[in-house]
Amino acid sequence: MTMEMPNLVPVLPEIVVLAMTCLILVVDLFLRDDQRDVTYLLTQATLVVAFALTWALGDDQVRLTLFGSVVNDPLSDVLKLFIYLLTFMTFVFARPYMKERGLHTGEYYVLGLLGVLGMMVMVSSYSMLLMYLGLELLSLSLYALVSLNRDSTRCSEAAMKYLVLGAVASGMLLYGMSLIYGLTGSLNVIEISHAIVRDGADLPMVVAVAFVVVGLAFKLGAVPFHMWLPDVYEGAPTAITAYLSAAPKLAGFALFVRLLAEGLGPVTAEWQQMLMVLAVLSLFLGNVVAIAQTSFKRMLAYSTISHIGFVLLGLLAGTNDGYSAALFYVVAYALMSLGGFATILYLARRGTEAESLDDLRGLNDRNPFAAFTVLILMFSMAGIPFTLGFWAKLAVLRALVQVDFVWLAVFAVVMSVIGAFYYLRVLKMVYFDKPVETAPLARGLDFRLVFGANGLAILGLGLYPAGLVALCAGAINV
Amino acid sequence: MMSLPLVVLLPFLGAPLAAWSVRFGRLGAPWASGGITLVTLLVLLGVAEAPFAGRTMVERLPWLGSAGLDLAFRLDGLGLLFALLILGIGLLVIFYARYYLEAEDCLGRFYTYLMLFMGAMLGIVLSENLVQLVVFWELTSLTSFLLISYWQGSEEARRAARMSLVVTGAGGLALLAGVVMLGEMVGSYALSDVLAAGDQVRAHPWYLPMLTLVLLGAFTKSAQFPFHFWLPAAMAAPTPVSAYLHSATMVKAGVFLLARLFPVLSDTPAWSGLVGGFGLATFLLGAYFALFKHDIKGLLAYSTISHLGLIMLLLGIGTPLAAVAAVFHIINHATFKASLFMAAGIIDHEAGSRDMRKLNGLWKYMPHTALLAMVAAASMAGVPLFNGFLSKEMLFAEAVGVQTQMAFGWLLPVVVTVAGVFAVAYSLRFIYETFFNGEPVGLEHTPHEPPRWMKVPVEILVLLCLVVGILPALTVEPILAVGVSGLLHGPAPEYSLAIWHGFSPALLMSVLALAGGVGVYAFRAPLFALAERMGGRFEAVRFFWRGHDGLLRWADRANPWQDGVSLTTMVLALVGAGGIVGLAGHLGGGSPLAGGATPTPLDPVSLLLGLGGIAAAGAAVVLHRRRLASVILLGAVGLVIALVFIRFSAPDLGLTQLSVEVVTLILLLLALYFLPQHGPAEDGAARCLRDGVVAGLAGLGVGLVSWAILTRPHETIADYFLEQAKPGGGGANVVNVILVDFRGFDTLGEIAVLALAGLGIFAMLQHLYLPGPAKDHAGRGWDPDRHPPIMASLTRLLLPLALLVSFFIFLRGHQLPGGGFIAGLVTAVALIMQYLANGVSWTQARLPAHLHGIMGTGLLVATGTGLVAMALGYPFLTSTFDYFHWPLVGEVELASALAFDLGVYLVVVGTTLLVLIHLGMVHRASHGVSGNPVGGQ
Repeated sequence: MTMEMPNLVPVLPEIVVLAMTCLILVVDLFLRDDQRDVTYLLTQATLVVAFALTWALGDDQVRLTLFGSVVNDPLSDVLKLFIYLLTFMTFVFARPYMKERGLHTGEYYVLGLLGVLGMMVMVSSYSMLLMYLGLELLSLSLYALVSLNRDSTRCSEAAMKYLVLGAVASGMLLYGMSLIYGLTGSLNVIEISHAIVRDGADLPMVVAVAFVVVGLAFKLGAVPFHMWLPDVYEGAPTAITAYLSAAPKLAGFALFVRLLAEGLGPVTAEWQQMLMVLAVLSLFLGNVVAIAQTSFKRMLAYSTISHIGFVLLGLLAGTNDGYSAALFYVVAYALMSLGGFATILYLARRGTEAESLDDLRGLNDRNPFAAFTVLILMFSMAGIPFTLGFWAKLAVLRALVQVDFVWLAVFAVVMSVIGAFYYLRVLKMVYFDKPVETAPLARGLDFRLVFGANGLAILGLGLYPAGLVALCAGAINV
Repeated sequence: MMSLPLVVLLPFLGAPLAAWSVRFGRLGAPWASGGITLVTLLVLLGVAEAPFAGRTMVERLPWLGSAGLDLAFRLDGLGLLFALLILGIGLLVIFYARYYLEAEDCLGRFYTYLMLFMGAMLGIVLSENLVQLVVFWELTSLTSFLLISYWQGSEEARRAARMSLVVTGAGGLALLAGVVMLGEMVGSYALSDVLAAGDQVRAHPWYLPMLTLVLLGAFTKSAQFPFHFWLPAAMAAPTPVSAYLHSATMVKAGVFLLARLFPVLSDTPAWSGLVGGFGLATFLLGAYFALFKHDIKGLLAYSTISHLGLIMLLLGIGTPLAAVAAVFHIINHATFKASLFMAAGIIDHEAGSRDMRKLNGLWKYMPHTALLAMVAAASMAGVPLFNGFLSKEMLFAEAVGVQTQMAFGWLLPVVVTVAGVFAVAYSLRFIYETFFNGEPVGLEHTPHEPPRWMKVPVEILVLLCLVVGILPALTVEPILAVGVSGLLHGPAPEYSLAIWHGFSPALLMSVLALAGGVGVYAFRAPLFALAERMGGRFEAVRFFWRGHDGLLRWADRANPWQDGVSLTTMVLALVGAGGIVGLAGHLGGGSPLAGGATPTPLDPVSLLLGLGGIAAAGAAVVLHRRRLASVILLGAVGLVIALVFIRFSAPDLGLTQLSVEVVTLILLLLALYFLPQHGPAEDGAARCLRDGVVAGLAGLGVGLVSWAILTRPHETIADYFLEQAKPGGGGANVVNVILVDFRGFDTLGEIAVLALAGLGIFAMLQHLYLPGPAKDHAGRGWDPDRHPPIMASLTRLLLPLALLVSFFIFLRGHQLPGGGFIAGLVTAVALIMQYLANGVSWTQARLPAHLHGIMGTGLLVATGTGLVAMALGYPFLTSTFDYFHWPLVGEVELASALAFDLGVYLVVVGTTLLVLIHLGMVHRASHGVSGNPVGGQ
């Protein structure tokens, strides 16, 4: 049998990242420990090149390639650009931290890039097979990253939990996917959608959808599939938690849109109800339990869970407005979450992890710049006006009200109020309490620049959100 | 020119200016703030003629175009009235605070916050866009948080600030939800559109929920019962803040919002019931509680609550005349309450206390201040000739006017009069106990008059009270008319601002209130005793903190239940939740479990196989603590599966399963060496039961899903391959043709991964030596005869036979069950048998030690097959086949795919051997014995 050579131009960024990852892996072998910055620079350069390529290749067209299994559309472009950006920032934040702990190895960057590749595949896949491959490439990189600090038992426990639960969830996802394949006879998202419209959805399809939702919900960390999240966030070295918390959520969002909205669009009513339950539980549990946390990392973990609840609310609206609201929210969340963990990385020093809430006490006296950035972050997470988080919440609420889910919107608002409580508690510690620790914060210029840019982005986009809103609206065309 | 955005922007620009100007001396900040405020006021006055001419000014800047949101500002009568109040009183407060704040207080910070607040407040009253209004709304909550907690050292101030932020911020979020709903109902967030769509909104099914949410926002902000408790607590703020935020501006935001939306929301039973009802309750309760407060500011705070309730009540009554009264009272309350707060600040400042039990007889020490406070308090009580009287009498008139329209309507004038009685009583108490009633008790220093200029703002406000009270038509009439027309979104009704309206029920009520107030105060002792006994049992603030603590406790309790639990619990939760979601999907789907297709009838062989599998799996569970037994039983399960494959005509799969099973068994046995022979015991019956139930349910669920799917008609993709295998790939064995031809590229990838995995395992195991247990649980050592000669000899005899079988399987693969993969496994098993039976050293001396070469060759051969095709001008891995006539043998088909299969074979042999041998070499036992177990070399 013969086969045609597919058009590889749309997947050029993927090819570049893969090739560069292999190259960096080899180059890193020949570097001494004190030359590890070369690996860092090569990694960042790769991300910059990939950014430029995606930017240059991006337009309004929807292009399918590799036998219809890869799609290149505005959504994939937007998500990829943010994935590069967030990962780039993560690496800037991570470098001094990893150096202090003797974890500044080539593996960190190579695994990080492999994870980026996995996310890119997830974002662009139009075939369930590729989705799964991308997801597993990302997940495997993450499992390895979480266990990078092998001497720490807490780290190993987190990695073990993550690996086992992740495997179970992947199994469920795969089970659902295989049922869908068996029922529709296709792996391709578009063909699945056509097949469901043609044949109707019967009981097995509903079961299949349920398992797919379970698998995807686990990857995002929605309640009741969230239990790994606080342990992993707390157990992993903070630099890796930062990586884990930001960009992968964008890729997870992409899977929801590709698989549920585009592929399983004809059975929206089925997954809508499942997402509703997940969203309500996530909002409730995330916000309430966050109050009880004494660790800043765990608090951010539960805050993630509640934000995921909001993202799910946007998704379950099932309209273009809902998807673009969810996209807006997930981008906003990623920026805020990264900023939160960057704060911990800012405070950490050799021998101090600074991950307890108490470490934030009196931050204003120690470093007003960092304190102000925390202020913006917390305001944004609480959804207070003139920050990015407010517009994200507003967009989701509007999408919900448009499809008559008023009670969900009201519930989300009530939960936001409870959420605001613990974000403001952080601010109280930062501004009103006396510092326990008085050592000055010492981070390089690059760290401070990117950290400041992160905070400014949240404030700036909050003051003038039109650009991001338009970008998100333009990216969604289901 | 964009005047309105400038009006809102200027204070925001003034904020950093104020902070910066402190460099030029302590008084830089008040001067800068005052200057900015004055400029803002002038800019506003420059455009003020528009509302007076009956025009509504709207100016917009592009902001969030795609979402239909612009930065839009609107100036009409209502907005102008409030903006003037905000700027005018703001100017006085800036002036006053300069004297009030002590030398050690940081003026820069205070004025920065104050300017931010002023900008946010102007933003609320001048917003044309509802979402933008909410944005500024929340901003006032935030800045008020900063202002209340200005004295950060005080725990009380911090608690109060947090409480007010939680209450008003939460209300703001509710308002946001309400506004989003309102916007969706109208289809626009622009006030002009919303105000024009009143009928549509009132008829909408969402009207009531939307109204409730909006009212939540307004009630929390305007301290209405039962959300009033934050306001008395917020008295921990510096007094200029109380005078500004808690009398004139921020607490009026809720009232403003309802006035703003009055044309849209009012005129329904829900509106008058909710707004009027809560307003009335607040009016009465606020007045009642004010009487018992010993702290001057506490009394004033409850009085504010009461007056805000009065305004709400007027809005709730909903007639045009009531709206006039509401606007009028907004103005009046702002003037007399701001002056009273300032006076209270002066007293606090100069006497060192705000407790009325200590402050007595201040008339002697500060007569000028006392006079000002008494005038303002008289206005608060509603004494004729002061401005408070006029608007309160309008309320009385309205209360009488609407009583006929509802059941129990007569209650309204009664309750209003009773509230009026308390208002008179607490005003009287304030005057009498502060300025008269003997001598001060236990003050730290002798009170005296404040600096001359500190009294000027109070004097201005008190003068306004008097002038408006005596000559209303000449002074307040124009701005009142403009404000009312802005509120009603139309012309103001006919009304008269005279002091004397003749003998009317309203006048009677005023007289009753005054007389009653004096009476209540005169005989106050039993009332105070009662209040003492109640001890604040019903104070809502307690409920707030109880709810607050309850939430914390609840969070703490929910936490250990799901946070940081063990992996087992997590897996249980994950699988359980997954099952529930699946089950919910099933129940929600509503379709029957079984489909239409009839399954293949049951035959004895299948039944026997099924039972055998179940028995083996069950036995493995029962015997799972004995590791060797359970591994062998698992092997039996695998064997049954192989038989099932054969039963359903998949000999290829059967063969593969069989050989894989053998290899897996060897692998497990090699690993078992390092473990104790018995697994650990489980924790107990409960856990066993739980796990059993979970496992049973999982099996049941998967079984049901399988049943549901298998009983439904389905299309198979097999037909295509069955048709194409012979003509396309030249083989009758479809499985093999798919592997080496149709999906040859996949297979190439797979063997590459296999080889890589082998190398990875090799790298990990290469120099690893582990001591296994030397004795079993009964204390017996290993059998010293590790390689029994009989077994060694037999295995050697078997080797050529096994290799022949594997060669046979390999060759026939393209047409009949078999192929490179199975053949490779058979070879590997045959060779590994030699290792097991003869020992490592004997076997290694006779077999190539480096298996990497074999794997590499396999990969090269497989890739080479593809490259040859490319060299001949076909795409990579294109295969061909032809038939040859061999002497003796006959017609033989040779496919290029056979060479590819050879590559597969080599990689499988190499990898399997590599992994198993090195896993075996980890054993200490593999290195001890040398020599030939059978004897000889």
